[in-house]
Amino acid sequence: MPDTLPAEYETVLADQADAWDAAGALPHDLLRELGKRGLLCAQVPTVHGGLGLGSGANGELTAHVGALCGSTRSVMTSQGMAAWAIQRLGDPEQRAALLPDLVGGQLAAVAMTERDAGSDLSGVATEITPDGDTVVVTGAKRWTTAATYADLLVVFGRHAGGAAAVVVPTTAPGVTIEPVPTPLGCRAAGHAHVELDGVRVPAGNVLGGGGPSLALLVTTALAYGRMSVAWGCVGILRACLRASTEHAARREQGGKPIAGHQLVARQLAELYVAERAATLACEHASGRWDARSPDMVMAGVLAKYSSARHAAAAGATAVQILASWGAADSGPVARAFRDAKLMEIIEGTNETCQLLLAEHALTTRSLP
Amino acid sequence: MTTDQAVDSVASTISSYLETKAGGPVAHDADLAAAGVLTSMVAMEIVVFLESTFGVSIVGRDLKLDNFRTVDSMVALVTRLRENPDNA
Repeated sequence: MPDTLPAEYETVLADQADAWDAAGALPHDLLRELGKRGLLCAQVPTVHGGLGLGSGANGELTAHVGALCGSTRSVMTSQGMAAWAIQRLGDPEQRAALLPDLVGGQLAAVAMTERDAGSDLSGVATEITPDGDTVVVTGAKRWTTAATYADLLVVFGRHAGGAAAVVVPTTAPGVTIEPVPTPLGCRAAGHAHVELDGVRVPAGNVLGGGGPSLALLVTTALAYGRMSVAWGCVGILRACLRASTEHAARREQGGKPIAGHQLVARQLAELYVAERAATLACEHASGRWDARSPDMVMAGVLAKYSSARHAAAAGATAVQILASWGAADSGPVARAFRDAKLMEIIEGTNETCQLLLAEHALTTRSLP
Repeated sequence: MTTDQAVDSVASTISSYLETKAGGPVAHDADLAAAGVLTSMVAMEIVVFLESTFGVSIVGRDLKLDNFRTVDSMVALVTRLRENPDNA
């Protein structure tokens, strides 16, 4: 698969990821640059100025960035999900107006989660209230990834007896972005709590005019987010495998490299199997996505769930193999350990994915 | 093909898809939501199936569960979108 990450970014991400992680911030200019090159949402069609990558090619790009810097990869997930929401939920005029901005340097985030609405969407309290040619948005979103960098927010809420996603500029009066002080992982991904206090935007910002079910809207947006997180976890796994094999081949104890000790060798084997299993699950799901096959939906859930589980386990294993070298709160393995844990929570927790997978197993047997 | 035949063909294609998954017949007016099987994930699968099979684009306000409750409602949606392809 052709590698679409230009070499200069490979170098800067590899060199700076630890410093950005420690500072809790990514350089805004770098994000705008990546955005202008279409790399943050690489599946935006060429007709809108995007790179027009398929899910598989974008997945490899996501894994590549994810192996270097989990925070930058998180920003890709947010931007890509915002672009996907606009592409799927927006009407043709909205797509033509907004998608070129997202590949032109504008940064976007998706505001979905609320205090009482995580896995259970029935708790969403954000109101998008029509008022003449405008809508008024009021609510409080939590843990909005990339919100501190964003020019635009795609906000999900209740609307006219149904639901809608509405595009809100972060400069609009009534928008307050409060950074999450110390996220456990992806520390530079720009997580923030977002207050929307009577924010008035044109009614034309409501994607597709709104009206449909919240569950289906969110499922649509998450379909992309899950693929992006799953491939990001493949990146985490590759970083863990690389750091662990390099260390185990070099570090000597008892007169030989620790890779020669069977208990360490077994851990290396498990890391390798985890990386392969996650990659194959992601390749399968992306293949179904690119073929526009209905089973892309559950293949995406499966890929996200299994990749996140593998990545979280691999982060812990890699720290164990590196031992005192992995115990400093810096470096690819420490970041993997922290970042991967969040991947078991974001875009559907392990438990939510398990329920969906169980439901799928049951549903395919019980259609009337 | 007459309009009625075209509608019948769409209906039988959709019910064949659902029957493959169900392992049994699906009546054209059977309410998938009432039967408890029209989760948002299943609805999303149906969206992708209808789009890829019939060359339509189901976006924006058409993404409502009511459109996917029965074979009949899916036929109505596909028929309408085929008549107004400017939404693609």
